[in-house]
Amino acid sequence: MARLYTEDLSIGYGERLIVKTLSVQIPDKKITTIIGSNGCGKSTLLKAMTRIISHQGGTVILDGESISKENTKVLARKMAILPQTPESASGLTVGELVSYGRFPYQSGLGRLTKKDYEAIDWALEVTGTKEFKYRPVDALSGGQRQRVWIAMALAQETEIIFLDEPTTYLDLAHQLEVLELLQKLNVEQDRKIVMVLHDLNQAARFADYMIALKDGQVVKAGRCEDVMKPDVLKKVFQIDAEIGRDPRTNKPMCITYNLAKGE
Amino acid sequence: MIHPALVRKQRILLFVLLAMTAVIIVIGMGMGYSSLSYDRLLPTLLGEGTFKEEFVLFEVRLPRLIITWLAGMALALSGAILQGVTRNDLAEPGVIGINSGAGVAISLFFLFAPIDAGAFAYLLPVIAFAGAILTALCVYFFSFSKRTGLQPVRVVLIGVGFSMALSGAMIVLISSAEREKVDFISKWLAGNIWGADWPFIWAILPWLVILIPFTLYKANRLNLLSLNEPVAIGVGLAVEKERLILLLTAVALAATAVSVTGGIAFIGLLAPHLAKALVGPRHQLNVPVAIVLGGALLLLADTIGRNLADPDGIPAGIMVALIGAPYFMYLLWKKS
Repeated sequence: MARLYTEDLSIGYGERLIVKTLSVQIPDKKITTIIGSNGCGKSTLLKAMTRIISHQGGTVILDGESISKENTKVLARKMAILPQTPESASGLTVGELVSYGRFPYQSGLGRLTKKDYEAIDWALEVTGTKEFKYRPVDALSGGQRQRVWIAMALAQETEIIFLDEPTTYLDLAHQLEVLELLQKLNVEQDRKIVMVLHDLNQAARFADYMIALKDGQVVKAGRCEDVMKPDVLKKVFQIDAEIGRDPRTNKPMCITYNLAKGE
Repeated sequence: MIHPALVRKQRILLFVLLAMTAVIIVIGMGMGYSSLSYDRLLPTLLGEGTFKEEFVLFEVRLPRLIITWLAGMALALSGAILQGVTRNDLAEPGVIGINSGAGVAISLFFLFAPIDAGAFAYLLPVIAFAGAILTALCVYFFSFSKRTGLQPVRVVLIGVGFSMALSGAMIVLISSAEREKVDFISKWLAGNIWGADWPFIWAILPWLVILIPFTLYKANRLNLLSLNEPVAIGVGLAVEKERLILLLTAVALAATAVSVTGGIAFIGLLAPHLAKALVGPRHQLNVPVAIVLGGALLLLADTIGRNLADPDGIPAGIMVALIGAPYFMYLLWKKS
């Protein structure tokens, strides 16, 4: 059994349930991507798994404990989150923002220790943002800024990192740069990565495990080969997809598609 | 992870501002309606003055300077907290209804309470404090939702709503009142230093002595609250708890200040804003600057206002606006 899973999880805003009695496992040490059409509840699921929103029913279990019962600071040492549109205070420098990732380890006045500085420097280093250390976050480009936010999540030194559409607003090269960085972290440091991705082919290319959602329920969860299938995609996106192999990565990819007819 | 140069700049700034505060206090001690020349200041302070000199210094001028200074610091700190918690640079104690709440309480009390003038002066700050706290509690009550907790946007919207409604109520109240009473109330609303007496100093000092270190201790959390909510939760901040504690702190500070100064709100907007422009958005650095700046600004405003028009002077609240507004506009203009 995986360390992180949900049991009959129901999440909703007000009366309307967006996710209904959903049970899913997030495999350890792997990259998991969550896919689905707009409004299917994929972001909602990610937010509930990271306690950003509360859930109406069921539980999210991490290491045998329900996350709603766990101390929020203790949780922050286990999981880090990069929300969809993070906002920085104007004028805040990159180094300062990344240092906020050390909050779960601080007590009292929050002075940074040597260990904190090491973690911050390391996070800046791997994300290639060291040169911006003293520059204000709001003066950076979209791609640079996204890397800085990832650095903040890394400084948290957690085993699990959640990301909600980390490639939105980035151009092609920067999208790949971010995803490759995450892959590197997964391979070299065994970090578990869970992310919502919009682009189907990117999701398949970088994931070890995929979860396809529709109307707040799991249509299919498993290896990319099992999820990237015409019948699954038809159910999830209402598309009639042609699945082939990426000639470079040998991962399944959607080569072309039409809108599904009938039904 | 703060640039060492910035830390040095902040230290220097704090030192300069404190020195300025000291200078304003010394100048203020020697200025006023009755004469106390500067060469008599030191002897009087050392207890060698005449009875009249001692009375003017210790019973009239010093209490007023100290209370003004303390109130300025409290307002600035309150504004700094509110701006951080609500993530809104235009937030100030007025938006959570502090000023109008105190104003209505004062008006009601002044117009309808049958009480003699002697006890009145001492009761006034108490009434203002009660009005301010009561209003803030109402704002909390209406903006708290069981499902989402205390949302800053709701606090601001409902606070502004309350402010407007109470200001309206005040107009209704005073429009039917007698001329002299209206004069008094409008003067209070303009922000006049009221409680210039030692008991009031002892009453507001403990708040500051406790709440200034407390807020500095919370500076880290304020930093996180001024990012957006998912980020703050993600790094393990108990967002709702901290937000409530900090909002209560801001209310307590503002209510304390308003109780002795009347409707001065601009300091709470201006001082934190200036501090952020000077030393950046990190609260460890900008909160101390905002506090010292707030104290100095209100002292300066009151000292000038007190001596511009004899014998009553111009209310400090108006002086603050006169000094602050142009500078504020300059800042906004420079930014865009």
